[in-house]
Amino acid sequence: MDEIKLYTIIIFTENKPGVLYRIADMFLKRKINIESLTVSEIESQEMSRFTIRVKGDHLAVEKITKQLYKIIEVVKVLEKTDEALVFKELALIKVATSNAEKMRGVEDIVRMAKAEIVAVGSTYLVIEKAGSEEDIDSLYALLKPFGIKEYVRSGRIAILK
Amino acid sequence: MKKMTGSQAVMESLLQEGVDTIFGYPGGAIMPVYNALYDYRDKIRHILVRHEQGAGHAAEGYARMTGKPGVALVTSGPGATNLVTAIADAMLDSVPMVCITGQVLASLLGSDAFQEADVVGITTPITKWNYQITKASEIPEVFAKAFHIAGTGRPGPVLLDITKNAQIEMMEFSYKKAPQIVGYQPNTAPNDRQIAIAAQLLNNAERPFMLIGHGVLIAKAEKAVKEIAEKAGIPVGSTLLGLSALPADHPLFVGMLGMHGNYGPNVLTNQADVILAVGMRFDDRVTGRLSDYAKQAKIIHIDIDPAELNKNVLSDVPIVADAKEALTALVAKIKKNAHKKWVEQFRAFDKEEFEKVIRHETHPEEGEITMAEAVAMLSKKTKGEAVVVSDVGQHQMIAARYYKPEKTDSYITSGGLGTMGFALPAAIGAKVAAPEREVIAIIGDGSFQMNIQELATLAQDDIAVKIIILNNNYLGMVRQWQQLFFDKRYSFVDLKNPDFVAVSRGFYVDAEKANKREQLSKALDRLLASTKPALLEIVVKKEGNIFPMVPTGASVEEVRLE
Repeated sequence: MDEIKLYTIIIFTENKPGVLYRIADMFLKRKINIESLTVSEIESQEMSRFTIRVKGDHLAVEKITKQLYKIIEVVKVLEKTDEALVFKELALIKVATSNAEKMRGVEDIVRMAKAEIVAVGSTYLVIEKAGSEEDIDSLYALLKPFGIKEYVRSGRIAILK
Repeated sequence: MKKMTGSQAVMESLLQEGVDTIFGYPGGAIMPVYNALYDYRDKIRHILVRHEQGAGHAAEGYARMTGKPGVALVTSGPGATNLVTAIADAMLDSVPMVCITGQVLASLLGSDAFQEADVVGITTPITKWNYQITKASEIPEVFAKAFHIAGTGRPGPVLLDITKNAQIEMMEFSYKKAPQIVGYQPNTAPNDRQIAIAAQLLNNAERPFMLIGHGVLIAKAEKAVKEIAEKAGIPVGSTLLGLSALPADHPLFVGMLGMHGNYGPNVLTNQADVILAVGMRFDDRVTGRLSDYAKQAKIIHIDIDPAELNKNVLSDVPIVADAKEALTALVAKIKKNAHKKWVEQFRAFDKEEFEKVIRHETHPEEGEITMAEAVAMLSKKTKGEAVVVSDVGQHQMIAARYYKPEKTDSYITSGGLGTMGFALPAAIGAKVAAPEREVIAIIGDGSFQMNIQELATLAQDDIAVKIIILNNNYLGMVRQWQQLFFDKRYSFVDLKNPDFVAVSRGFYVDAEKANKREQLSKALDRLLASTKPALLEIVVKKEGNIFPMVPTGASVEEVRLE
């Protein structure tokens, strides 16, 4: 058994209804859990680009890559490890800031982490961070003690080097 | 362009694809199509089944005989869900099929309307492709795509779900066959370099072994298999679905692989130095314990489906190609050879299997009739020229082992899914497709009761299928496992069966029963002489077991003879 790694699978498909369902079903059938998923239109309007992050050994990922081609609407499938990609994820984090001292603390962290404050409320700040999954995880860990009210991540987008 | 309704467009599309027969069952949401079919009934033969599952398997039987997609036509909701088993069956056995299901009005979709079911959702994992048509104008293009996908590459079932409004609306008809599909371009030509490497391996092999599967029949590569085997002196073993690709009495044919296959091909799989696997997918019933399967051999694997290569067994030379094209390229590059000693090794195992199993199975001197005895006698009487359609269970393995086909496309069964109830409707489809051939359905007493209603279809259309019920009043295969692996705890396997002869006659199908050895030969003669559908119930040994057997989880070398 190969070592378990994170892989990014990029799938180009015809932009037709039901394709997401077919792709999700393929992962379900092989019991591979999807860590994150983004779908977007690409340059050509009739095509979609799926970026799917999965954990697995190389053989399992290679097998699903081949099986994804069985979906008629699938045109191209690429499976890559991080070294071959430029990638980013976007996160929005709403942090509780009940007093000025806490607010300053959050501001310091945001500056250090090269994140951005995108909304200010009387009791919270909304922070936006674009970066690797690890960057976002560590920012989240730093902000957690302040009290996180809401948190959302986009899933990875990636481009080939 | 001609103006017509969507339903007429369905008929015209079927004609464009050369469809002459469909199997179906009408109902509310498909009535406009049936209304159009009434005008086309001289051009398209419709066989009215008694349950939609029967339509599905009949379409499969038709496809297995002709190589063309079989067509099933049913209504929405329960009509469509009843087709599901047959669709899954066709998916696993790579059978081309186009299923047409009615659907509620597009305006009612998602409202839990009467007889609404999400058929596209339900069948996505078990179809090669499916699509919901909600506008009449889509029909020609989508039908052309459906037939193209079902019948090319690795064949499979396609489902088209047509909303009722699309069946009624007017549209302008024009048809273009085999459309270009950006994401679907199956490769059929082999890679020259891979062929050269494969040829070199085979030319240097001392103990080469060819494993053939359903892909050989689908690609019509029987002749190429024979040429390679004869030129290079390679023994050939077959999967369950590859049977009849090579005549059973061919000197290089060494029998069936897998769980209830023959002794030699199982044991010697683990002694071959080069394995040439063609159009087969190393199913677990063939390989036994994978970690001990053919580890010593270099493996050349030819399959048209790239996802099959390295799926179960890692191959040294994977070749994505049509079996016929690949073998034709290969035969030119291999040297003449004969591996006499190696082939003799198979024959030595054959002898042992004959002494320990086959002799007393096929020629018992006393006691009840055995399944093997009946099938071997049938094989002799028909000179191996009939099409045998078997159901699922002990009788299926017996039919596979003891019917000796001499012609291609002569053994049809449900392999991958193992669907009980398959044989009767599939035999109907096969007979309709090949009326000139003798089609014999060999069915167990358990399996027969899963689609017994199709006797009415036989009678109504006077389809001269011959049915042999091998009746041991047990779910025999499960009972055998319970005997061998569950301490003889026979949990819910004994059947109080109906009087099959009376039931059959009740359906207006001639029937008789044989329960004594001295009746058997004459009863088979009468069955074969009949020009009408007919049934023969043969009462067989109650606790017969099938050997050889590779128990689940065992290696192919650990095949047991008793």
